[in-house]
Amino acid sequence: MVLQILLLVGLVLFSVMAILVKDLLKAAISLAVASLLLGIIFFRMNAPYAGVFEISVVAGLITVLFMLTIALTKGGDSAESKVASFAFPAFFVVFIVIDALIMKKLIQKVPALPGPEEAGTFGQVLWNTRTLDLVGQIAVIFAGVFAVLALFRKGDKKDE
Amino acid sequence: MNSTWFLYMFFTAVLLFTGIYCLLTMRNLIKLFIGIEVIGKAISLTLVATGLVKRNVLAAQSLVVTYIVVEVSLVAVALALIINIYRKTKSLDIRQLAKLKG
Repeated sequence: MVLQILLLVGLVLFSVMAILVKDLLKAAISLAVASLLLGIIFFRMNAPYAGVFEISVVAGLITVLFMLTIALTKGGDSAESKVASFAFPAFFVVFIVIDALIMKKLIQKVPALPGPEEAGTFGQVLWNTRTLDLVGQIAVIFAGVFAVLALFRKGDKKDE
Repeated sequence: MNSTWFLYMFFTAVLLFTGIYCLLTMRNLIKLFIGIEVIGKAISLTLVATGLVKRNVLAAQSLVVTYIVVEVSLVAVALALIINIYRKTKSLDIRQLAKLKG
């Protein structure tokens, strides 16, 4: 449990770093490390498939896409508000205190009851129970592909 | 088991706060999108933590896998939009978008 808490603290720290670091490339790498830690947390929570997807797709593919975008938009940096960066630690500490107090209050009042034990394997649950989700996923992937194609198509000469 | 769930919810709330703070205060489009990604991490952590406590990890995992696929499409489209905005305005500042003419 101690290791799990350390991993969760690391996840929060790297996420905060991704937001506060000025260099966009460093921010993207911090986000990738946060994804890696989240993947390890998933592995330790008996969710290996979610962990594999998190590490390979989110920490790998999405980071590459971010770096590509940062490389293509070089020189487009905008000055961030300094007040926002300096005020963040104060807001963060206040939020953590409020969050801890609320969770402490709720812990006795809201029971998180365990349900009945699940049967089968991940494949059975994904293909049999959640078949419609897969159809939705295919639709979303096609929508994404067509949207990217539409955004990068070459304009007519009249428009230019 | 109950306290474990609240521990995860505590960290989820912190991640959500970080992401929402980024969305509210930052001006760089890529930074704003990193904020959305942080919120996404909070959501997937919530799904798996709840699945673990409810002894429904398999269903939770399939939801997280679905979410990750949706996230990739979202990232691809959003980054393509950001590149197009940069080509038009030569800047990644969100305030430039408020000056669009019809």
